[in-house]
Amino acid sequence: MIGPLALVTALAGGATRIVQDQCGSFTDVSPAFCPYVLEMYYLGITAGTSATTFSPDNPVTRGQAAVFVSKAINQTLARSSRHAALGQWWTATSSSSWSAGLGITPMPDYPGPFGAMASDGTDIWVAGYSSVFRFRASDGRYLETWTIDATAVASWLLVATGRVFVGAFPVPGGGSPLGSLYIIDPSQTAGNATPVATLPSNQLALAFDGANIWSADASDVSIITLSPTAPWPVSTITTGFQYPVGVVFDGSNVWVADDGPCALLKVDNSGAVLQTVSLGSAGCYLNQPVFVVRVSDGAVVKTISPSTDGGPDRAAFDGERILVVSDGGGQDSPPDLMLLRAADFSILREEIFSPFGGSAPGGGTTDGLNFWVLFDVNGPVLARY
Amino acid sequence: MRCAAVLLLALAALLAGGAVRIVQDQCGPFTDVSPAFCPYVLEMYDLGITAGTSATTFSPDNPMTRGQAAVFVSKGINQALARSRRRAALGQWWTTQNPTILPPTPVGMGSYTCASDGSDVWVPAGDGTVTRVRASDGRVLETWTGATAAIAVAVGMGRVFITGQAPGDGKLYMLDASQPAGTVTTVADNLGTVQGVIFDGSRLWVADQNPNISIVTPGPSLPWATTTVGGFGGTSTLLFDGTNVWVTDYVQNALLRLDSNGSVLQTVATGLNPGFSVFDGANIWVPGLDGTLTVIRASTGVVVATLSGNGLNGSVATAFDGERILVANSGPETVSLFRAADLAPLGSFATGTATVPTGVCSDGTGFWITLRASGQLARF
Repeated sequence: MIGPLALVTALAGGATRIVQDQCGSFTDVSPAFCPYVLEMYYLGITAGTSATTFSPDNPVTRGQAAVFVSKAINQTLARSSRHAALGQWWTATSSSSWSAGLGITPMPDYPGPFGAMASDGTDIWVAGYSSVFRFRASDGRYLETWTIDATAVASWLLVATGRVFVGAFPVPGGGSPLGSLYIIDPSQTAGNATPVATLPSNQLALAFDGANIWSADASDVSIITLSPTAPWPVSTITTGFQYPVGVVFDGSNVWVADDGPCALLKVDNSGAVLQTVSLGSAGCYLNQPVFVVRVSDGAVVKTISPSTDGGPDRAAFDGERILVVSDGGGQDSPPDLMLLRAADFSILREEIFSPFGGSAPGGGTTDGLNFWVLFDVNGPVLARY
Repeated sequence: MRCAAVLLLALAALLAGGAVRIVQDQCGPFTDVSPAFCPYVLEMYDLGITAGTSATTFSPDNPMTRGQAAVFVSKGINQALARSRRRAALGQWWTTQNPTILPPTPVGMGSYTCASDGSDVWVPAGDGTVTRVRASDGRVLETWTGATAAIAVAVGMGRVFITGQAPGDGKLYMLDASQPAGTVTTVADNLGTVQGVIFDGSRLWVADQNPNISIVTPGPSLPWATTTVGGFGGTSTLLFDGTNVWVTDYVQNALLRLDSNGSVLQTVATGLNPGFSVFDGANIWVPGLDGTLTVIRASTGVVVATLSGNGLNGSVATAFDGERILVANSGPETVSLFRAADLAPLGSFATGTATVPTGVCSDGTGFWITLRASGQLARF
């Protein structure tokens, strides 16, 4: 076993004292500090100031501190990911794996046009047109299908409070759907989802803040209050919004992505805009990078451009990495999957696919272990990334 | 309980020369920490990372030494890792102490290894079966067949890959875990006397007791294309660290770093007959039959420590649960536990007589041990 070894050092003038101890490869670290210095050495956070010294009494500079902290965070995140415990240190090359039949499950029917997906941590939920499919994440097995009103098409899926919420968009010319928000109780036998609310305009995205469901509705934002009986109360806010397409909750505030001004809007709990973060002025639809916005102050800390102009439109976070899905936007642009390390925004892998041909990746979610996207391999499939 | 109220005590300090200024505020037990720093200092105090420079001072304006920084960083990592484990959220702070409380699940006879997909544990066995065990409760969910003389297992992309040691005609089998249990599919054969298998994100690597490894590339049709790379002493187990594949060589008693073509880039000496090794995010842990555990920095190949004691004896396999390393010692029928971050020994524990533990794996919460002689899988 490793153990400290006291070294006696002769000092100038013939005096002798025990000055230091052996601590791994370091000869200048006292027993009191040794376990901590060794841990940093074992974790690859420090190599010392030389092969045999750590210089524990030297002041640590801000630069050295930054190295220590960022490497410590990276080791902590890597080790605490589910990949680590399962030994899954690889990143799949999706194109070759999928073509070999690995990591894919045929869809029981075509996915819906909005690529809505969500995970409850165990299962993956995927929206069809007027249906919602459930798959088991561990092995990809298709489990069951739920349905919504046939005059509605599912536009967003949200998992919260042990339920799956289905946002819905009226089928053009299809009549009046029973609602814009449906609820699924996954503990029950699959069947019809229950309509719980109707929104004044086209539902596009959902978020939950712990009490209410927020909906981005293409021309407004709705706050839907969970209630014992349907219909649930809906409060719709139009002031400050032009074309809301996305909504997310950061633990403190709701943020709304608005394609009108091409901005991210921080709102208070009544929906009033607190802050506007501009994301460009040329329109949000095409040729846009990924903007990384710091929630504490709204600063754009990074913009990341995929190698194609496929229009990044969906992102998922597994606790360590971000998957950005660019489906090509229906334009003559190569679709793209880009995997980033969230802590430093470095690109881990990017795969570019051929435009057209129905092979563009769509959707995008994670169960905490794998990412999942929709793809086409001789038909629609749910694909593990 | 933390005193939530921050008392803004404006202390007028009489400085040398008669100058007076407001110096600090109350922050938990500390009287010298300003409100701007208080939340962060208090968090370190509450987490046990610092006790301050005295009972009432933290000395926030003092310069910090590299040694003090090491204490902060190491204790911070340990707290973060311990709290981020699923065991913490489930309140499972215990460590199984003896074989009488190892709840065994019957699996096929002659099981060497196991692997988990995060929900279930897959156990191939010498009798040709592959047993699927639900990790949450240890229930046998299903048994696949046809994996003749199964040895090793790897999980990737929703599939389970198994090597089978048919003499002179080693095979690589695959099963689709999303389908009802049945017979495994042979995806590659003529692989020699196969041993370990790993997935690198696009290809499968198979070790051969003879001086080869095989690189198998999945494709739309069977059998999958195989490239054989020779020149080894005798390969047995493999691992992938996210960048390189490594293979153990029991003739050279070494761990070999390979490039993407299988060529040897680096040779690192290990203990005798290195076994199933594991990567923990920084280091590779290599068990040896001579009772050594060689810890190798993956980025450089430097041996950062060679461990012994803590029950290591006839060590054949390792697993990592995100925080700890478990080592199977087949000879004395024990397992040895280490904390991965600082290599600290956490004890060794018997698996019972006539069990012969040969494989270990983690489902992300705890460990599982394959008991080859008794045909069981035991939760640790």
